[in-house]
Amino acid sequence: MSHPPLDLDVRPILRAGGEPFSAIMEAVDSLAPGQGLRLLASFKPVPLFQVLGSRGFEPSAREIGNGDWEVLFCPTNAGAEIPSKTDQPNITDEWPLPSVEIDCRDLFPPEPMVKVLEATEALATGETVAALLPREPRLLFPELQNRGHMWKGEQQKDGSYRIIVRVGAK
Amino acid sequence: MRALPLTRAGVTASARSSFAVSASAYFAHPLLQRDNDAGIKDRLTIYVLRLNIIATFELVIARWKNSGSIKMTGAPLSRWTMAFFAFSLMCLIGAQMLLAAGYGFPVDDIAAPETLVVVHLTSIGWLSVLMCGALFQFMPVLVDRPLSRPALVLPALFLLASGLAFLVSGFIQLSGAIESDWPLLAIGGCFLILGFALAVWVLVETLWSARPLPLPARFVAVGLTCLLLLGVLGSVFAHLLSGLIESDQIAENLNQYVALHAALGIGGWLSFCAIGVSYRLLPMFMLAPDSDGVTSSYVWLTGTSALVVSSVGVPLEILLVGSATVSAIIAACFLYIMLALYAVDLLSIYRNRRRREVELNIKAAGGAFAALYLSAILGAVLAATGQLQAELGALVYLVAFGWLGGLGLSQLYKIVPFITWMECYGPLMGRKPTPRVQDLVCERRDGPWFVLYFLGVGSGAISLLFHRPDLFRLCALATLLATVAIVVELVLARRLSNVSAARRLPEGAHLPRLFVVAGKK
Repeated sequence: MSHPPLDLDVRPILRAGGEPFSAIMEAVDSLAPGQGLRLLASFKPVPLFQVLGSRGFEPSAREIGNGDWEVLFCPTNAGAEIPSKTDQPNITDEWPLPSVEIDCRDLFPPEPMVKVLEATEALATGETVAALLPREPRLLFPELQNRGHMWKGEQQKDGSYRIIVRVGAK
Repeated sequence: MRALPLTRAGVTASARSSFAVSASAYFAHPLLQRDNDAGIKDRLTIYVLRLNIIATFELVIARWKNSGSIKMTGAPLSRWTMAFFAFSLMCLIGAQMLLAAGYGFPVDDIAAPETLVVVHLTSIGWLSVLMCGALFQFMPVLVDRPLSRPALVLPALFLLASGLAFLVSGFIQLSGAIESDWPLLAIGGCFLILGFALAVWVLVETLWSARPLPLPARFVAVGLTCLLLLGVLGSVFAHLLSGLIESDQIAENLNQYVALHAALGIGGWLSFCAIGVSYRLLPMFMLAPDSDGVTSSYVWLTGTSALVVSSVGVPLEILLVGSATVSAIIAACFLYIMLALYAVDLLSIYRNRRRREVELNIKAAGGAFAALYLSAILGAVLAATGQLQAELGALVYLVAFGWLGGLGLSQLYKIVPFITWMECYGPLMGRKPTPRVQDLVCERRDGPWFVLYFLGVGSGAISLLFHRPDLFRLCALATLLATVAIVVELVLARRLSNVSAARRLPEGAHLPRLFVVAGKK
């Protein structure tokens, strides 16, 4: 018999300016086999889809008003891996929890870009850094590409941009 | 909300309304009283051939060198943008020197050839070349695509520079200061048309690859369309004044066509592009969220309507009823609604900025926006009191030097250090400690120069309103002084002179060249 999905509301954490990622991962770890997770967030947590997808959860998201989102992560039968979209076959598709979290929203350009790249230089291959930036960092993307890093990012409601960078082979 | 998919290669690197009060008198100039004999046709053939040979030569050289944009860092930097900026600043200083020396308006008539020298040195040499250089750099940022055909950028600069030289010589020829049988104005017109055509080709092809266009780019698209119309109309004037073609229809309504020419130039090409770019640059430099897109799309709509009414309605009305009063009034209504909506957006960007303190380029841009809205008020007052025709010089001066020139200088103060920083320190980002962009300039020292510039322009416009050419020249001298000081600061920024020697060049960094953005490919 399957369990009802576990409810987790991360909106208070987000409103307080916090990082809900660890709370989500703790909740995921505490799930019983076959149990799903109902997540309430103040934005559509697209980066999570990939992370939980690789752990065998299928997301179904719907907007519930005021810009809030409810995402139901249901365990898939086989716990199948999401096919890798990377063009670097030697690196697995796992995105570990960010080793570093930085907030660059109050920095004038190009300082946010410098901070993100500084953080990537300090990390080992495969580790990730999460950063909040004042806006979509169009000048940063080609530089990340140049240095062999991968990234995924999402526009936030306040106009800022959250990016997670996974350090490439050094 | 927009999400980027998990990807590594997902994002690619990416009128003066009739200042020509008596311009039609120039058709009576002795130069133009020649019979349209075979000699002119011969000269025409020769210069068209020369033109083609030079343009082709430049194209071949540039393509052979395959120069254009470089990817020294991941961020695309336009190789020739600094050359565009340098040329435009030289033209600005030249124009201000002439004004301070009493050459052209207000000492000479507003439609005198001497005035036209200053007008075109300012509108083409300073403002248009500056705008082209800025667009070559920022178009990839506006549309998230690399610049198409970067090899055409340098030939465009050569053609624009030589075209301007011929055009200015043509006006000097018209003033009687030099004697020559060459149809200099027409030659200049052809070079300029070719130069702008190359620039428009590069920019339009880049825009085309990025459809559907984001809003800032839609402003630029309209601006480029105006540039093409403006260029064709300007070239027709140049050929008329050179005596190569004849058109009674245009000659009889020259004032209104010159007004259209200026409206397309100042309003359509320069201001509309400046507004579009400001929607991207201001939030970026003020750490403010982009505007909601609703007000700004109405700014685009009303502005485009004003330009369509001007460029289609004016010639049509002249052909049908002989004057363009109704079109001008409708266009002005759209213009004022646009300005009001743009003010709403500017205030919203300023209020929603994330960081309280703003940098000098934004403070100085405040002077340019003040000039824009003061010009709008002045224009309305002059039109209401029937003084628009008589006081046009003051209005155009405030728009060109206060709004467009002020915005240009203030943003160069940010763009030049920014590009220099990216060029010099970009590859070292995160790997080695580098100076900050702010360290490349000295805001405390430079603030007063911007104050002097805007005070000079404002008091210059007032002196023109009170018909005091002597005071105007003094004010022009003050703006010249401020401009030279700002240009010196830009050169110092480019040479990294404000950075302490110990931090200036970490290992792996190279001192940038003054006019060429260069680096390892």
